[in-house]
Amino acid sequence: MPVSERRLLIRVGLFLAVAAGLLLLGVWKNTSLIARNWGLLAALILLAALVFLYLGFERRAVSAREIGVTAVLGAVAAAGRVAFAAIPGMQPATFVVIVAGFVFGPRTGFMVGATAAVISNFFLGQGPWTPCQMFAWGLAGITAGWLGILKPRVGRTEMVLFSFAWGYLFGWIMNLWFWAAFVRPLNWPSFLTTCAASFPFDTLHAAGNVIFTLLLGKTFYRMLMRFKRRMTVSVLPAPAAVPKDSDV
Amino acid sequence: MERLSYEEKGVFLQTLHTGVVLVYLGVLCVLALLFSHPLYLTGIFILGALAVIVSEAVEKWEMYLRMGIWMALLIMIINPLVFRTGKTVLWHGPTVPVLGKLDICLEAICYGAAMGIRLLAVLTVFCLYNAVVHPDKILSLFARYAYKSALVVSLATRMLPAVARDLANAREVQQLRGVDYGSGSLRERVRKHSWLLNIVLSSSLERALQVAEAMQARAFGTGPRSCYRRELRRPRDLLCFTAGILALLFSLLAKFKGYGDYTYYPQMGKLVESSSSVIWLGIILISLSLPVVLSWGWKHCPYLRSKI
Repeated sequence: MPVSERRLLIRVGLFLAVAAGLLLLGVWKNTSLIARNWGLLAALILLAALVFLYLGFERRAVSAREIGVTAVLGAVAAAGRVAFAAIPGMQPATFVVIVAGFVFGPRTGFMVGATAAVISNFFLGQGPWTPCQMFAWGLAGITAGWLGILKPRVGRTEMVLFSFAWGYLFGWIMNLWFWAAFVRPLNWPSFLTTCAASFPFDTLHAAGNVIFTLLLGKTFYRMLMRFKRRMTVSVLPAPAAVPKDSDV
Repeated sequence: MERLSYEEKGVFLQTLHTGVVLVYLGVLCVLALLFSHPLYLTGIFILGALAVIVSEAVEKWEMYLRMGIWMALLIMIINPLVFRTGKTVLWHGPTVPVLGKLDICLEAICYGAAMGIRLLAVLTVFCLYNAVVHPDKILSLFARYAYKSALVVSLATRMLPAVARDLANAREVQQLRGVDYGSGSLRERVRKHSWLLNIVLSSSLERALQVAEAMQARAFGTGPRSCYRRELRRPRDLLCFTAGILALLFSLLAKFKGYGDYTYYPQMGKLVESSSSVIWLGIILISLSLPVVLSWGWKHCPYLRSKI
């Protein structure tokens, strides 16, 4: 197994151990201080997931070009939130994150998504929604990266379905913490009621993703692929020394 | 998107070490999630509100509250809809497919109201964060531990206003060419706006390469990084850090002793079950209020200001 894959498995294993430990504390018979406090536990697990995901980016050798392009894509995704403010529900951020993840891979996809959430909220205002947005957009980038690895020549219909699904998934992930921290009891009817409250917004988000994928998907994909090729620098072996006439 | 949410006002909490502010705000946020007793939640909310007032961020707080009240109302609606094992039934409703029989009980409404206060307390802490922590300070703090991620975020933060300006420029140019962004069907309007995104992406990617070249020219990634600390550590930092940690320790102790929790179901318990519960709340709030008191003293007492 390559070293990078082994490290990834170790990190995933560590995260699962941390999450399982926290959940165990939650169900411990009232002896632990955070027993049944699912809001606090959900927040801690969310933060742990973000730390492990950032670790994946930190441990990797990253070139200046990759950092530049990741930052720019994050900024474009965040600026899109402003450009489309006039049209309710239209948020190109998810679409930009998905295309970036698909072209550049899961790690860059996560960074673009998480960065877009953080920096747009530097200007719009941070809130308890920031870590949830970081996680949701980051996960959209990661899954798009996996899609790019598993099926590099994905069709338009599949991409449209993928981005449509992320319109709802994003909303449900955002609802998760709200549901865990403020609603009782925690069961399917209460989660469905919470999701029903956000259903109109999620539907607009999903519809927006589909429209952006149909209108801009191909152009964005081509543009980013071209940049990916420009970013890739391969070092050629030094040519063998040509013998001079005098050496012969 | 030209201006950050943060505004430099020279208030006390803005002069603290970033790590200390994060610890203090983190403690406030954890306590809001740790306790479920309405008095404890209200106490934390009021303390957060006082900190917002001394930090001169009331205008920003009003925006947060306006949004928070709608969310709190939503919590107060959802809880009675899904929980109906309370003893005080106010209204026997019809049977609904997914939810079952709709019996609205007083206990669920009160639980929803307490959770609404919890939400407002958490929002107040985040409002305070926006008002007192400069993004650059937090990025330089994290740059020591995760420099690549911090670099991506700081570059993106610098680029965002430039990208927003590019968007405005592209929009103006298109308008001069006769594109009317306000007219047409939804599909046409989305199409027109999409062109803007296309233009901005291509120009921004070129900028990314320029930035990367500039970074390479400055020897990015050629060796171990050096970093220096510009933030001072002053007596005020030690005081506020101790106050935050003490408040957390007292809270854990109170929680361990069984205070800070409240029985909502099936029937609501007494608001004040014992005097110890109020005494513990008082101790926690006194510890938490030290930065607020220092903030007031820092503004009104030159002697104190010179000493901390």
